[in-house]
Amino acid sequence: MKPLSTWGSSRNPVKFRIPTSDNLLPIRLDIEIDGQRFRDAFTWNPSDPDSEVVVFAKRTVKDLKLPPAFVTQIAQSIQSQLTEFRSYEGQDMYTGERVVPIKLDLRVNHTLIKDQFLWDLNNFESDPEEFARTFCKDMGIEDPEVGPAIAIAIREQLYEIAVQSVASAKESRMIKKGRKGFEHIPISKAGGIAVDLVKSFGNKSSVIRKRKEWDVFEPIVDLLSNEEVDALEATEERNAR
Amino acid sequence: MGTDNNHHHNNDTTITTTPATLGPNISNNNNNSSSTANNKSPPKPPIKPAEPPTPTTTTTLQPFGSSPNTADSDFISIPSYSRWFSWDNIHQCELRFLPEFFDGRSASKNPKTYKYYRNAIIQRFRDNPSSTPTKKITFTEVRKTIVGDVGSIRRVFDFLEAWGLINYSPSSSSSSSNKAAAAPQQLSHNDNKDSSSSATKSAAAPPPPPPPDAPPSASADNSTTAAAAGGPKKRLCSACKSPCTISCFTSDKHNLTLCARCYVSNNFRVGISSTDFRRVEISDVVKTDWTDKETLHLLEAIMHYGDDWKKVAEHVGGGRSDKDCVARFLKLPFGEQFVGAPESSEMVDNQLTSRGSSFQNKRMRLSPLADASNPILAQAAFLSALAGVEVAEVAAHAAVTALSDFAGVKIKANLKSVPADAKQQDFDVASHGDTAYRMDGALAEAQSELEKEEEDVERALSEIAVQTKELQDKIVHFEELDLQVERESQQLQQLKDLLYVDQLTLLFYKAAAHKSGESMVESIKAE
Repeated sequence: MKPLSTWGSSRNPVKFRIPTSDNLLPIRLDIEIDGQRFRDAFTWNPSDPDSEVVVFAKRTVKDLKLPPAFVTQIAQSIQSQLTEFRSYEGQDMYTGERVVPIKLDLRVNHTLIKDQFLWDLNNFESDPEEFARTFCKDMGIEDPEVGPAIAIAIREQLYEIAVQSVASAKESRMIKKGRKGFEHIPISKAGGIAVDLVKSFGNKSSVIRKRKEWDVFEPIVDLLSNEEVDALEATEERNAR
Repeated sequence: MGTDNNHHHNNDTTITTTPATLGPNISNNNNNSSSTANNKSPPKPPIKPAEPPTPTTTTTLQPFGSSPNTADSDFISIPSYSRWFSWDNIHQCELRFLPEFFDGRSASKNPKTYKYYRNAIIQRFRDNPSSTPTKKITFTEVRKTIVGDVGSIRRVFDFLEAWGLINYSPSSSSSSSNKAAAAPQQLSHNDNKDSSSSATKSAAAPPPPPPPDAPPSASADNSTTAAAAGGPKKRLCSACKSPCTISCFTSDKHNLTLCARCYVSNNFRVGISSTDFRRVEISDVVKTDWTDKETLHLLEAIMHYGDDWKKVAEHVGGGRSDKDCVARFLKLPFGEQFVGAPESSEMVDNQLTSRGSSFQNKRMRLSPLADASNPILAQAAFLSALAGVEVAEVAAHAAVTALSDFAGVKIKANLKSVPADAKQQDFDVASHGDTAYRMDGALAEAQSELEKEEEDVERALSEIAVQTKELQDKIVHFEELDLQVERESQQLQQLKDLLYVDQLTLLFYKAAAHKSGESMVESIKAE
């Protein structure tokens, strides 16, 4: 059992970082130049030097034979996401007793995945990559691009939640400075999305999930045919416009 | 992961293809043609005959853990300097070039993930449909499919590409056969059957040059491979692969050479700072190559003058400063041994002056072990090289037998018969001596354990026997008691019967007495 002091309890803030075992940042690129659209998502290690950004951008452009105008755009986009991350980095975040539901709803090539599961935000040893690897292995997914997509989706959600908790920490600090005794409100606001462990696993109920929730939490992996893929892509593009 | 990707077609990704003129030919026009019937054979790039004679190395790749799904006619070739690769193990040079995975700084970067990245990349490269056996894979294609952060994946990819384990096509090796020849020639001197770590530790042999089929675009591109610029004759920037003309920056710490452009544009790997580099003018480069004669002079001078580097520099001449001499001396593979024992250095003196030309060979012969961090081992290697191969073998053999006798267990030392390669013997014998000794100890331990167990079992058995005996005695005792009880009850019954009879007679007499009494009363009354 971890000692309570390592958890960011409501009194004990923790320095901001993505709550996984390695502090990797999810980066999403969506660049359009001259009608050519480039979409991509991957994980980045923020401790890599900044020269790495340019190197990576050039490599990607060369590998995919994109027009060279993409290089600066890609590098800029990565750089801005990195700086945004770094701006959060020095600050505190509150992570109370938080188990959050994470939803997966993505389509990679021919594979459609829908899933929902609970994730412990306080577990700083968690590893979305490992989860993704196991998921693909267990579900027998052959397309190797699915794994990274899952890992990135999980990371993005965790990142968002972490950002939210930083924001709420700031709020609560300001409020604390102003008026004492009102700390509970902002924290519970942030924890609204979290599953209240005490309620679900109280002394009366059992640990087993209720039957009606089984469908929600079951992973669904669908293989689509070509026409379905095309149809879905068309709807996505329409929505994006 | 990394299985057949036939249905995988991403619109964003284009796959670069090279002309399919390949199909690596085993019947290469080499001096040493390695004709193996094995499925995978590495062709060696042609070696110029002017180089000192190299021992013929016929190498076979270790069998792969997973059989690739290519047809029988496909071969996969990797350059000979990457022979160390195996699916399951991590080699020394991997540890050196990609330290980030092994230094424990990050919880997710551990050897297991490194192996996963590396094997996935190589598997993907080899998984090509058999029509285009050596299609190159791009980094982007790879990183889309591997779960991990792209920086590390890129570094692993570059490393593998540099060592020719992926995207390697043998026909284009002739373009830089100069470099490629230099590397395997030096490495082949340190030829060992097992992946000996000392082969890559030798300071005399720099790590192999950049891949033969480096991307033709020689612009200041990415891949900052960690390979040093091969032989000292030419300085090639390891980042942009263009020859350095005016000035370049060398980092001895990481064995890199960068041209001025790359240095300025900070094209380093992670972990190297700009302070590690020192500026080297090209005009100096020519002078910094130490010829054998100069090295000879240097060593002589050191022995005569000891620590007086000024005099040493004088003796060496040729414009070498004392600093140069010190640096050169430190770089020599067996330099440390000179500092220690003066008597051994005298022996070396004789050897040196008598065999000037074979100096090179000797130095290279020593290099497998002489650079080992263990000074004792270095000494042993040095002395054994001096004493001659046969003597060393006999001595080692005697030592091994003595050790095994001492341990109290006789095992057959598994010394091989004299292999063809002379250098191998020292190493093999030393290592076998070690293993023999260790096996003795293990065997003795195992036997003592066995005996202990036997004793325990016997003791247990005897205890059981004792207990059963006791039980038996008790049963007998109880039987006797039982008998006695029965006898007594019988007696009791008899007594009861007697009592009953007595009671009956009493009653009878009582009745009789009563009657006779009555009759007496009647008779008295009648009178």
